[in-house]
Amino acid sequence: MSSGKFTTPAKNARGLGSAKSGTEHYIRQRVSAIALIFLVPWFMFSIINAMGAGMDDAQAWAGQPLNAILLILTAGAAIFHMRLGMQVVIEDYIEKTGTRSALLILNSFACIALFVTVALSVLKLWIGAGA
Amino acid sequence: MVQLTLPKGSAPKKGKTWPKPQGATNLRQFKIYRYSPDEGGNPRWDTYWVDMDRAGTMILDVLLYIKNNVDPTLAFRRSCREGVCGSCAMNIDGQNTIACTKGFDELPGGVITIAPLPSQPVVKDLIPDLTNFYAQHAYVQPFLKTVTPEPEKEWKQSEEDREELNGLYECILCASCTTSCPSYWWNGDKYLGPAALLQAYRWLIDSRDEATGERLDDLEDPFKLYRCHTIMNCAQVCPKGLNPAKAIAKIKHMMVERVS
Repeated sequence: MSSGKFTTPAKNARGLGSAKSGTEHYIRQRVSAIALIFLVPWFMFSIINAMGAGMDDAQAWAGQPLNAILLILTAGAAIFHMRLGMQVVIEDYIEKTGTRSALLILNSFACIALFVTVALSVLKLWIGAGA
Repeated sequence: MVQLTLPKGSAPKKGKTWPKPQGATNLRQFKIYRYSPDEGGNPRWDTYWVDMDRAGTMILDVLLYIKNNVDPTLAFRRSCREGVCGSCAMNIDGQNTIACTKGFDELPGGVITIAPLPSQPVVKDLIPDLTNFYAQHAYVQPFLKTVTPEPEKEWKQSEEDREELNGLYECILCASCTTSCPSYWWNGDKYLGPAALLQAYRWLIDSRDEATGERLDDLEDPFKLYRCHTIMNCAQVCPKGLNPAKAIAKIKHMMVERVS
């Protein structure tokens, strides 16, 4: 901790001071978790019901507005929740500031790209179904 | 900093096996972590045989038996020998606790390992350097802070408000909880740890304290407070039976209450 420098313990403990943030992150993670409590069982139930169905069935199913909306909401809540969770994991385990920042940015990009891809795919099925 | 293996020079090697006490019939084997900065080299695991008929009932008794009868160079902290001072906190058979209140009857059979509290620099043998731990305790300013001029006689507190402090004020700062926390292992330079946060909460809910907002300001930080991931090791090891994880959850609750 001292690493050869003449810093006092109090200076080390205070560090850069309190960031006065973190509560928003905490609330978002919990609220998205609450949403997932409802969305994930619906999603699992739908997937199990669709076992063995083909592309046409999928298109017909996702063509119904309620299913399309819930699909996008599920993907949104899950990916948002995942982004927050991955952020914590990166902060926990990566100490080097440069690597950490790069991974945090990559995490955001990957999650946004994933969500856009899922959302457009659902929209394609929905619009393709003639909605 | 995440370190899944010990740095070079810190990995304990096989050490000395000390002679068995003569004429003893009830022997038990102890593996104890030894490190002396004066001698240099890696730490080592020394093996001791203890005559359990003469060693008392607690792990601290075993350490005193070894120091008095086998190896006077074994270094460890101890003072009150009754769970009040917190000096003899160490890792006993894989779990942080205080040696003076840990009886051998609570431990499983076989060899018992004794090591210093994990993740902290070792001064010698079973003595960790808790400088950062104490500095973090000081950071939460564990004393009454007020803006109202001090009353002539005393700050009054109702019995109900005093009861709120039960389960918090009993902390003896032994550091068992903080050094058992993986989040603290990885980010102990920034995360305040369960002991400091338990104390922070003790002052946050003190009915006489007027600095609640400032205290919350000082804690609201992704690392200082929110590195707690409710792993619960703290509550599991606390030799006083306290629950720092619950106190931290309540601080988080106060943070939410403040913005909503």
